[in-house]
Amino acid sequence: MNNNKPGRTRRPVALYSALMALFSLMLALPMAPQAWAGGSEPAAKVVNPGTELWREVRQREAPRAGVTQVAGMDSGVLINIRGEQWRQFRMEQLIPAAGVLIGGVLGLIVFFHLLKRGVRLEHGRSGNYLLRFKEIDRILHWYVATVFIFLALTGLILLTGRVVLIPVFGHEVFSVIASASKEGHNLFGPLFLLGVIGLLIRFVSKNFPGKGDLGWLLTAGGFLGGKHPSAGFFNAGEKIWFWLVIFIGLTISATGLILEFPFFGQDRPMMELSLVLHGVGAVLLVAGLFGHIYVGTAGMEASLESMTSGYVDVNWARQHHDQWAEVCEAEGAVIAGEDLAKKQRLRGTKNRVPDRPVAEEGR
Amino acid sequence: MARMKFLCDAERCIECNACVTACKNENDVPWGVNRRRVVTINDGSPGERSMSVACMHCSDAPCEAVCPVDCFYTTDDGVVLHDKDTCIGCGYCFYACPFGAPQFPTAGAFGSRGKMDKCTFCAGGPEADNSAEEHRKYGSNRLAEGKLPLCAEMCATRALLAGDGDTVSDIFRERVTWRGSSGLTWGWGVAYSKPGLRRGRDVEGRATGKD
Repeated sequence: MNNNKPGRTRRPVALYSALMALFSLMLALPMAPQAWAGGSEPAAKVVNPGTELWREVRQREAPRAGVTQVAGMDSGVLINIRGEQWRQFRMEQLIPAAGVLIGGVLGLIVFFHLLKRGVRLEHGRSGNYLLRFKEIDRILHWYVATVFIFLALTGLILLTGRVVLIPVFGHEVFSVIASASKEGHNLFGPLFLLGVIGLLIRFVSKNFPGKGDLGWLLTAGGFLGGKHPSAGFFNAGEKIWFWLVIFIGLTISATGLILEFPFFGQDRPMMELSLVLHGVGAVLLVAGLFGHIYVGTAGMEASLESMTSGYVDVNWARQHHDQWAEVCEAEGAVIAGEDLAKKQRLRGTKNRVPDRPVAEEGR
Repeated sequence: MARMKFLCDAERCIECNACVTACKNENDVPWGVNRRRVVTINDGSPGERSMSVACMHCSDAPCEAVCPVDCFYTTDDGVVLHDKDTCIGCGYCFYACPFGAPQFPTAGAFGSRGKMDKCTFCAGGPEADNSAEEHRKYGSNRLAEGKLPLCAEMCATRALLAGDGDTVSDIFRERVTWRGSSGLTWGWGVAYSKPGLRRGRDVEGRATGKD
């Protein structure tokens, strides 16, 4: 005991040898009931009261709480075995799975992009436009996008930083990064919930299953069969993404709030369950986000405009959302490129449509 | 090389909480933090047992495993310590620990946690032994002075044992032997002349009514 300074010597000895030391007394104590050896007294069988007791304390079955003078969450619980289950899940399943899933999705996207180079506009641009997303919807979208990407980055730093970033930055620098990530994550987390509720309110009516969704799914959005399946305002893939965002978003928001404000009597099993749901949901959503970003940008020509200017080319609408385009055109909602450009110039809009038709551009 | 361990003898612990008080005083523990606590099971009923519990300085420490910033380390004496400069107060060690050892002072708005505080086996932290900085962050470093943790040193009934694992085990094993094989060691039968107890080492005189 002359030297107890940090040797950073880890001892991967058997699990819980300390636990065993603490409770070795129970094993050492006799288990067998024993008769009294008293002379004329009748033999009475008395079971050592400690035996069953300590078995329960070690929580082989249900948690057993005692009383203590010390205030605090779960302070009456001597041993919480669920912590070990959570540890195993986090370290041996969640973190490796997060790496495999996110890396795998990125790899798949790169693979398919090199294979197919994304979906082009089959008939070029028409030069006429349809309004797809109003300004409030676009603002809402980019609000959720900004908050979610920030939360995803800070969350992934906390989840995988020990494996990925400590070898790069060292413990001291990473501690600063992780601390800022934790504070930022806690600060922006509740804002994500507001965004999810906003998305639900603005888009839920367009996301119920409808005509063409089954066909879209069966052909994997035209990936199989070669012909683009029919679709309404949102296709089945977009609807699935919407409901994933809503359900997983609400789950990670609820569990996040449970974790962030630990003074409503949440005990450790509840916190552990929340961390599991929060982590699994977030990793799934991040993986989905990569697909969403790809399809909205490089994966599909002229898609991004719907979320920047809000207008899409009529040919794009006909190709990807034929049912919606049909209805719009029947209603006379098509705006000529010149009219739209003039309108946007007057308003000083930044993300303007091109001034004149660019049907031949890049073909 | 010593391998430090705690052992609490539940047949002796009388729930006096002197270990808790001694620890708080010796280490100037922050408000709201108790590095050690005494838990009583079946309080007020037959078969009541108490046990003092704190960080058990695990060999394969769950806190160390889940820490996102990797701030734990194990000393050559087998004491699990952590670096408060690196700790970000995330609370994961508290969720992973079976014994509820990691504690968090409330540091900011909305119940946010400060840097984790836990039993150091009276062995301080990464700073220089018994420096003012070390004492401010982690409390005493009695181990560096050749002393054992104060909680165990203070224990009036010697229920709480601290020290090298082999020595602690020997003491406890001897107690178990001395108590004998009867489940009645805890109660009237022992106090009032029930035969059958074996003598312990260094015990003079009669332990039982008959011999």
